[in-house]
Amino acid sequence: MNRLACVLALSWSAAPACAPLEANQITPLDPRGQLMRASMDLLGTRPTEDELVIIDEQPELYPAFVDLWLQTPAFEERLRSVWNLRLLTRTGEVGFDPAEAGIEGVDERAIAASLADEPLRLLSWIARHDRPLTELVTADYTVADQAVARMWDVEIPGFGGWEPGRYADGRPHAGVLSMTTLWQRYPSAGGNANRHRANAVSRLLLCDDYLDRPIAFARSDVEAVASDPEETIRSTPACQSCHATLDPLAAHFYGFWGDEEGLREATLYRPERELLWMEHGGAAPAYYGTPTSNLVELGQQIAEDPRFVDCAVRTAVEGFTQRSLGPADWSEVQALRLAFEEGGLTLRALVRAIVTSETYLAGDAADADLRARLATVRRVSPDQLAGVVEGLTGYRWTIDGRDALTDPNVGLITLAGGVAGDVTAPSWSPSVTLSLLHERLAWLAAWHVVRRDLVEGERLLLRRVTLDTHPDTHASEFAATVRDLLHAVRGRPLEPDSPEPARFAALFAQVYSVEGDPEAAWAAVVSAALRDPAVLFY
Amino acid sequence: MPVRLHRRTVLKGAAAASAAAFVGLPTSGRAWAAPSDRKFLFLFASGGWDTAQVFEPKFGGAEGVDLPPLSEPGQIGDLRFVAGPDRPEVARYFARWGHRSAIVNGIDTHSIGHGSGTRFVLTGTSASTSPDWPTRLADADPIALPMPHVVFSGPAFAGGLGASVVRGGDGRLLELIDGSIVGRSGAPASVPASPVDAMIDAVVHEQNARFRGASRARVAAEHEESLERAMELEGRLFEAGLGETTAGLLGTALRAVDLMRLGLARCAMVRIPGRWDTHGDNTPQTRQFGALFGALDRLQEHLATTPGDHAPTLADEIVVVALSELGRTPRLNGGGGKDHWPYTSALVAGPGVAGGRTLGATDDGLQAVPIDFATGRPSAAGDMLGTEHLGAALLRLGGVDPATSLPGVQVLRALLA
Repeated sequence: MNRLACVLALSWSAAPACAPLEANQITPLDPRGQLMRASMDLLGTRPTEDELVIIDEQPELYPAFVDLWLQTPAFEERLRSVWNLRLLTRTGEVGFDPAEAGIEGVDERAIAASLADEPLRLLSWIARHDRPLTELVTADYTVADQAVARMWDVEIPGFGGWEPGRYADGRPHAGVLSMTTLWQRYPSAGGNANRHRANAVSRLLLCDDYLDRPIAFARSDVEAVASDPEETIRSTPACQSCHATLDPLAAHFYGFWGDEEGLREATLYRPERELLWMEHGGAAPAYYGTPTSNLVELGQQIAEDPRFVDCAVRTAVEGFTQRSLGPADWSEVQALRLAFEEGGLTLRALVRAIVTSETYLAGDAADADLRARLATVRRVSPDQLAGVVEGLTGYRWTIDGRDALTDPNVGLITLAGGVAGDVTAPSWSPSVTLSLLHERLAWLAAWHVVRRDLVEGERLLLRRVTLDTHPDTHASEFAATVRDLLHAVRGRPLEPDSPEPARFAALFAQVYSVEGDPEAAWAAVVSAALRDPAVLFY
Repeated sequence: MPVRLHRRTVLKGAAAASAAAFVGLPTSGRAWAAPSDRKFLFLFASGGWDTAQVFEPKFGGAEGVDLPPLSEPGQIGDLRFVAGPDRPEVARYFARWGHRSAIVNGIDTHSIGHGSGTRFVLTGTSASTSPDWPTRLADADPIALPMPHVVFSGPAFAGGLGASVVRGGDGRLLELIDGSIVGRSGAPASVPASPVDAMIDAVVHEQNARFRGASRARVAAEHEESLERAMELEGRLFEAGLGETTAGLLGTALRAVDLMRLGLARCAMVRIPGRWDTHGDNTPQTRQFGALFGALDRLQEHLATTPGDHAPTLADEIVVVALSELGRTPRLNGGGGKDHWPYTSALVAGPGVAGGRTLGATDDGLQAVPIDFATGRPSAAGDMLGTEHLGAALLRLGGVDPATSLPGVQVLRALLA
C-alpha cells in the first residue's frame, strides 16, 4: 500500500499514520535479552544457559535459534495459545456427556479440552506442514484425536495423536467453517437466524466485529421492529447497514441449524437444511455482495479477502507481543504482511518476521508512550508462568489432578490474566491476583525443590549444598548457591559485588531462627528467588 | 493470626480521618457516607430482563404490553411497580426499601445485541477501550485499595485500568488469598507462617527495587503496587476470618459487602443468576425477579443492620445498582417468549440516591420518551435517556467527576438527592 492509500485508510485517526519509527527511537535488547524474549514467546520457557552462552558469543545466530524453535511442538502449543485469544474455544465448558458417544470411564474435562482444540489443532497442523494459512478456511479435512473423532463422528486413520480426518455426516469441508466445535462454541438459536455465527466469522477471521459498529435507530425503526422484526431488518437502512452483509453470511450455516437434543442430533450437519435461509430472513448466501452457495465457496471468498491476512497478522502480533495495534503501527503491520505473503502465507514465515523485527527486539524506547506502545517489557501469560517455573524447578502446579495454569476448569487462568469462560480478553498488566499466584506457585515449587534436592538427594537445582549447609558455617557454598539460583531465574550472572547472597543468607537465618528447620529455611530462600520479577517480566 | 499493618493501611486510616474532618456532617444532614467513601455493588442480569415484570407497570395501555399473568400494580410514594402473588418478594422489597430505591426506566441501550448492549450499559460507549462504571469508580479511589473492583461473576470492561480489576476466578480468589490453595495442590505444602511470609516479602520488595530501571519504571511501579496490595490483602483477610464459601446471589453479594466493609474493595460485580434471554419462554423471568428481589431484601436488611466505616450503617455507605444489558419486547412472540428490546431499566438504591421515585419514562408501547434530566419526568423539550447519562450519575454519586471521562454528557441529576 502506498503512503497516500495508507493515509486514506487511516483517515479516521489523527495519529502519525504510516510513519516508520526512526532508528534512534529504539534501543534493542542485548543478545541474551533477545534470546530470552524469543524463547518465552516461541517456546513458553526460558532458553538454557548453554544457549545463552552461545548467543553471547555469536549474536548473529539469533535467526537460527528462531528457525530451530519454530520447528518444535512447543511452538505449536504457543501458536494455539495465542490464537485462542481470538477464537476463544478453550472455555473449559463441557457441552455433552461423553457416554452419549459411547465413551465411558473417561475424564469429561479431558474430552472437553480435546474438543475445544479442534480449530486450534488445525491451525498448528497447517503451521507444522508449512501450508498457507488460508487452509484454515479452505482445508477439505479437519483434524481430530480419538476423543474428537468419537464425539463428533470424524473418520481418522487412527495412528494416534491428532490426525487429518473427515466428518462422517457428509458435510462440506472448509477448515474451521465446517467444525462442530466452532459452531457449538458460537451457537445461534431461535430468531437469531445464524447471525451470531456470521458475526463470529467476521470477528474471528476478519477481525471485524459487527457489534463494534455504532448504530442509531430512528424512533420509527424501533416501532417497526416491534411489529415485524425481519421485515424491518430487510427494509430499514439503519438495520441494513449491518444486515446487508451479515445475513448473507449467516445463510451459509443452516446445515448446522436445529434445536434437537442429544449429542448426535445436535451436532450433525444436515445438507437438506442448507436452504432453510429462505424461511429465516430470506437473504441468500453471499460474501459481501458476491453470491456463494456453500461453506466451501464461503471459505474460498474469505481466503481471498485481504482482511483475512490482515487479521492473521494482527492476531499474531498482538498475541505474541502483547501490543495493541493502532494506526501508528500501520507501516509495521504492512511490512509484516508483506513478509507473510512472500513466505507463502505460512505461519512460520509470519512469526519469524515478527520476532526478528526491530520493534519486537526493543528493550527500551525514546519515551514512555513509545515504551507502552511497543510493550518493551512483557508480562508472562498463565501458560508461560507455568512453563518458566517448571523449567527452573521441574515443578508443574496441579490442583485436583489438573494443570493449575492451563486448565480453564481450575479457575486460576483468569486470575493470572488469561482468558477463560466469561473473560474474553487477556490482561497484560501486573495485578494483585498475579502477585498472589506467583507467591503461591513459588512456595510450592520451592518445597518441591527442597524435597527433591535436599531430602531425596537429587541435587538438580541446589547442587552445592545439603540440609546441613548453613550460611554461617558454609558461607561460600551458600553464596554460590544463591548465585546459581538467581542466575537461573534471571538468565544472567550476578555482579561479583552483589549484596544479594548476603541478603539471602540473612533470610535463611531469620527463617531458621523462627522455624528451627533447615527445610523451611531453604524453601524460603528458593521461594524468594523464584519470586524475582524476572520470572514475571521479560 | 497476627495482623500485618502496611503503609497503605495506615495511609487509608489517615485519609479517612482527614476526609471526615473536612467533610464534617454527612451530606444534607443525612447519615450518608460522603461520595468518595461510597462503595458500589453492581448486580447484572445477563441476557436482557423483561422490564414489564417489575419496573414498567403498563396496566391497560392502549398498545398493550404483556405483563405476567398474575400481575398487580404496586406503589410506594412516587415509585410505581409491578408485583404479584407469585413473586411477593417484589412488593416486600419496595415496602421496606422503596424509600431508598429509585427505578430508572426508558434507558436507551443503543443496541439490541447482548455484547454491545452490555458494553453500552456498563461503559456508555461502544469503544472496547472504555472502562466500565465500577472500574472507573474503583480506580478513582484516592487511596488505592487491595482489590479496587472485584468481579465475582458477570461482565467486566477494564479498559486501560486493568490493575484496578480483580477477577474472582470461579471461587479460587479466597483460597489464593488465604493460602489454602497450596494445601490443595499437587505436592502440597503448608502455608508459610506469617513471620516467614513477611521475611520473604521483604526480600521480594528489595528484588523488585533492583528490577526497576528507566525502561521498566512503569511496570516495576505497577508490580510494586500489586505486591503491596497482595500483601495487605493477605493480612486483612486473615484478620476478617473470611474463608467460608457461599453460593448464590445473596451469598456472593454478602461476600462482596464484607470486602467493602473491611476496606478491601470499593466496587464489586455479581451476576444475577438465571436465564434472562427468554426468546422461547418468558415465564422464567417472573420466578427470577422474585428470587432477585428476595435477595435484595435480605441484602438491604444486612446493610441496614451492619455498622459502616463512614456512616452509621452500611446501608448509608453502599450503593446497590441492578442492571441488564437489554429490555425485552412489549408483547410475547409466537413461542411465548420475548425478544430483544433496546430500552431497559435499572434499580439504584443507597446513599445519595433520590429514593422512592421512578425516573425516566416509556410510552404505552415501552418506547422511551424524552425526559427532563433534572426531574426525571417526561418532557417534550427534554432529551432521550441513554446508558451514558445513567453512568454519569453513578460516577457523580461516587464522587467522580463525569466530565473527565464523559465530556459533554449530561448527568441524570434526578437520580441524585
